[in-house]
Amino acid sequence: MDVRNNRRQAGGSSVVTANRLLDGRIVWLAEDGAWSGRIDAARIFSNDGIEAVIDATARRQQADGVVGVYGVQISDDSTTPVPVTVRERIRAFGPTVHPEFATLTEVPSDVR
Amino acid sequence: MSAETLATPDTAPVGHYAYDQVDRAFLHDRVEQFRDQVARRLSGALSEDEFKPLRLMNGLYLQLHAYMLRVAIPYGILDSRQMRELAHIARTYDRDYGHFTTRQNIQFNWIRLEDTPDILARLAAVDMHAIQTSGNCIRNVTCDQFAGAAVDELLDPRVHAEILRQWSTLHPEFSFLPRKFKIAISGSPHDRVAARFHDIGLVAKPGRHGTVFDVFVGGGMGRTPIVGVHLRDNLPEEDLLAYLEAMVRVYNEYGRRDNIYKARIKILVQALGAEAYREKVDAEFAAMDRARYRLPPETVAAIRARFGTPVLDAPSDAADRLAEARRADAAFDRWVRTNTHPHRAAGYISAVISLKPDGGIPGDATSAQLDTIADLAERFSFGEIRISHMQNVVLGHVRQDQLHALWRELGGAGLASANIGLIGDIIACPGLDYCSLANARSIPIAQKLSARFANPALQERIGDLQIKISGCINACGHHHAGHIGILGVDKKGEEFFQLTLGGSAGNDAAIGQILGPALPEDATVDAIAHLVDAYLVHRTEGERFLDTYRRLGAALFKDAVYALA
Repeated sequence: MDVRNNRRQAGGSSVVTANRLLDGRIVWLAEDGAWSGRIDAARIFSNDGIEAVIDATARRQQADGVVGVYGVQISDDSTTPVPVTVRERIRAFGPTVHPEFATLTEVPSDVR
Repeated sequence: MSAETLATPDTAPVGHYAYDQVDRAFLHDRVEQFRDQVARRLSGALSEDEFKPLRLMNGLYLQLHAYMLRVAIPYGILDSRQMRELAHIARTYDRDYGHFTTRQNIQFNWIRLEDTPDILARLAAVDMHAIQTSGNCIRNVTCDQFAGAAVDELLDPRVHAEILRQWSTLHPEFSFLPRKFKIAISGSPHDRVAARFHDIGLVAKPGRHGTVFDVFVGGGMGRTPIVGVHLRDNLPEEDLLAYLEAMVRVYNEYGRRDNIYKARIKILVQALGAEAYREKVDAEFAAMDRARYRLPPETVAAIRARFGTPVLDAPSDAADRLAEARRADAAFDRWVRTNTHPHRAAGYISAVISLKPDGGIPGDATSAQLDTIADLAERFSFGEIRISHMQNVVLGHVRQDQLHALWRELGGAGLASANIGLIGDIIACPGLDYCSLANARSIPIAQKLSARFANPALQERIGDLQIKISGCINACGHHHAGHIGILGVDKKGEEFFQLTLGGSAGNDAAIGQILGPALPEDATVDAIAHLVDAYLVHRTEGERFLDTYRRLGAALFKDAVYALA
């Protein structure tokens, strides 16, 4: 993983992300350990412990059907997870040039 | 190339090579091989690290939102049947559109891994594939979009482009080079292929005893932009493959593999010095079994025989009828001024279909538009379609008396933007909206600029001005060669844009120079407008933006952008 996409600040919070193996779509590690297509279902981890979470999650990525597990720092001042970088916001919410592909619109909240 | 290539097919496609059964059997086997690889990946028998090089050899990337499949369009030419298949893939397996690239290929951004073997099988059924669109091999050979049609052309380079394709595909020595390797070929003295920005650039021309080639080497963009070295003139056709083999062998032997950023041949040529590189190539060339690598005229003729040739028999009044239509329709006249290119045959003209609508995404086309282009190519240009490295489409052989009818049909499909070569004809890479390598978004800047300068009269008044946008230093959007280049950079996770001025991809190849500090996204479009305003004030009669910049230097333009900040 490119360092610039995996940078975190001490004391902050992050979520864990990957791409689904079958179709490449972006997924987020949810509260129950399953993967969700919606970032607002993602479990929020303290940066203090997230490396261990990433390591453990990466070890089961084949079983989970995902690839490229890494952590994404989020803003501390929002109620739902919002990544701090433009890149990860685009991953989370969809390409800015196709609003009709907005992830939170496409993936219903009751579908993981 | 097989023995069957000696036979002329009954219905060879105009403009490109007709596959034979050996070609088709190879593609079939390749698809089945990949189907098995995908199955093993899904079962876990192959890890991602093991699978990645295999999928890349078949054009499949894992990008920001999904898998991206890049399909090869060798030397930028395809036929209506193939274009309809691309439309079908866009409609069935993607999100109803495709994106034409600066290497004359097309890519689909929302592909599922499990669908890919079926997609490749459909492509193979129309003699297409995704080979040489990724990895450290010799990539898709690019070519002049007006090849075989342009009035200024000395020699149609497409037969030699096909020979290079066959030579390079699965070449055992060159499948694992230090880095990717890009070749462009032109047959015109006016460089429309950016030959001087390629690993190898070739210009074909007639010699005293047959076809010869001028050879450039070590050009490229990326993080170390370099204008290629003129390596030699008048390379005889029969030595083309031997000499290129020697050039790539020297690179393969001496090119760096320890540092990805220093692994391209341009770094080697600069490190050795052009003269030392030339000596090594000449020594390799002299030591080769020349008979084995000789490209005999019979082979060239056999390949040429597998290209369909258009019958160019326009009525004698075709030019008059075009002139009459232009007089009667000002909008059509404007489109003809910007979107056509003179043809070598009387009564014909080449038409450029702009994929840069006002406020649109450069290079994108919907499945309906792809189908429309296929239909129009059949009706107006022998079923032949060309993709330009400027991310537009060309119908090469249009009868002048039918051009107005073509234009009307294009207008109905949203394909009649009159902006080729103007400020609206922007090259842009997919950028951060799609690409996992990007630092910043390219497309929104292109959209805002094209909307800002949408007025056709304003575009014509501004004249020849090429804006090229890359979302990262890899320079897929050719920003180094833009009259105005825009490079997206990342500053602590936010997008900024660095402007360069003075680049050119033509005979006067030059690398744009950085104007000043990078700008935030919301200031970039205004900055471009200030540059254009300064140019309009200070240009002399008929002077291009590039020439005004060269005459007056950067200070004037720097003030225009930064003095107000």
